[in-house]
Amino acid sequence: MVASSKADVTSISRDWTTPIIWFGPALVLLFTVTLYPTAVVVWLSLSRTRYYDVLGWAGVGNYVSVLTSAAFWDLTLNSLIYMIGSLAIVLPAGLFAALALQTMKRGASSFRVLLLLPWTLSMAVVGCFWLWLLNPSYGPISYAMKSIGLTPGLMLGDPDTALLLLIVVTAWWSFPYVMVLMSAALQSIPAELYEAIDMDGGGFWPRLRHVVWPHVDATLGSTALALSIMYLTLITLILVLTGGGPIGATSTWSFEVFINAFRSVDVSPSAVISIIVLVVNLLLGLVYLRLTGRVSG
Amino acid sequence: MRATPAERLIAGLTVGVLTAVVLVPMAWALVTSLKTEATVIAFPPTFLPSPATLDSYAAVFLQRNFATELFNSVFYAIGAIVLTLAVSVPAGYAASRMTFPAKRAVMLLILATSMVPGVALLIPTYFVLDAIGLLNNPAAIIVLQAARLVPQTIWFMQNFVDAVPVELDEATEVDGATRWQTFSQVILPLIKPGIAAAAVLGVITTWNDYITVAAFAPNLARRTLQVALVNQVFDSIGITWSYVMAFAIISSIPIVALFLVAQRWFIAGLTAGAVKG
Repeated sequence: MVASSKADVTSISRDWTTPIIWFGPALVLLFTVTLYPTAVVVWLSLSRTRYYDVLGWAGVGNYVSVLTSAAFWDLTLNSLIYMIGSLAIVLPAGLFAALALQTMKRGASSFRVLLLLPWTLSMAVVGCFWLWLLNPSYGPISYAMKSIGLTPGLMLGDPDTALLLLIVVTAWWSFPYVMVLMSAALQSIPAELYEAIDMDGGGFWPRLRHVVWPHVDATLGSTALALSIMYLTLITLILVLTGGGPIGATSTWSFEVFINAFRSVDVSPSAVISIIVLVVNLLLGLVYLRLTGRVSG
Repeated sequence: MRATPAERLIAGLTVGVLTAVVLVPMAWALVTSLKTEATVIAFPPTFLPSPATLDSYAAVFLQRNFATELFNSVFYAIGAIVLTLAVSVPAGYAASRMTFPAKRAVMLLILATSMVPGVALLIPTYFVLDAIGLLNNPAAIIVLQAARLVPQTIWFMQNFVDAVPVELDEATEVDGATRWQTFSQVILPLIKPGIAAAAVLGVITTWNDYITVAAFAPNLARRTLQVALVNQVFDSIGITWSYVMAFAIISSIPIVALFLVAQRWFIAGLTAGAVKG
């Protein structure tokens, strides 16, 4: 019996057909829908195009013209401000929400469900809700500002405030994601560590610094990377709230790709920006893997 | 952790403030959906609708394309998750249980596809679908949606199969069961919580998607509730905010309901991992 099961194991490890059958459908799907189009966009970024027609080879010419245009650097700046600004709100908000839920104990589970609600809503729905809340003429926020003597201005229609408001709405929608991951990380902290620091006098800040932080910093870092990827590739929320405007104030790399994909313009510059988004994502993804220690294969 | 009364008070206040921040915008959408066209744009705005009316909800349900949009939302979500599970559960099982020379390469390939952002694929996918005449094709939408879910679902399934003791497989195979019988009769029943959790996440993701459908199936007969909602905002002439809010709320109800149910599955999934011996 032992001998035959050993023979079984070795035959499986040499057998190619069995894993092909089990992995095959998934690999075919990922090849046709993800890898093949990736190759196509690389090719398009290196081609001379008119609309979607490929006229010839351009080499790195498209990259040079995109990287030397001022418009590209405006998009880059917006993308970075949007990403960093959103992270600056959601990371502390999510961490403190998780800490508060852990401290309050009674009723925490119901509040956790309530606080998670925004994250379940689609970006289209969140965008509609906030477009109405931030309506400069009839919205409650501009009314509240007026009644305490502030000038609300055009809100999302003002180039100076649109990006900030976009960041606020993004944070409202996505902080629950941080909260959930932080709650999980907090649960992994052994109770004895809290008891030890309590004996040394305790207090909120020492506890946060010496007990909580060493256990959540890695999770917080990987969460930040996952969110960075999401913020850099996010389109729908921008589309609904501002349409990239006013005068490009809220247009990011990904938003530009989406808008130009269906406009009558040459496709190759957008292909170049697609590749840039792809490369940045891969880099962030690799750091993420380092941090989470996910070993493949 | 022994929190002092002061800490409990601050924690309670923090949660209270956050809950208000989360709920007030939703409450505003809800009361707006119950107002009449005239009171919605009254100034100064009032919180409670007076008179309250369900006219906007009736208007959404009576809208000519509503049934089509609802059907498409359901059809794409179910189609995508069925296809995702059909290809990912066997792959996740193989990833957990089989060893073969190219396994590392296969897993790296799956990992690599997960890092390609959807936005980078917008232009080439449009290019390809247009060339082969599959724009506005429902099956194409389902395949595209499924491909976005497959890598993470494979890992998820792999983790759940890993949690099943390999001795169970060996015992069944000693009794003469084939690999398929072991998979379908021993493994599948044990990883049900994982399948349920993956299904819930996948349905929510697909249902909430706007970009894929808007880009590759913009046809009136093919679009979903999400696409219809965004288009209403664009048709800003004649926009009625009570109607838009009612539409947004109706389009969210199935997902919020599913999420509330899903809480149980997540807990079941976590416990299954924790019980692992």
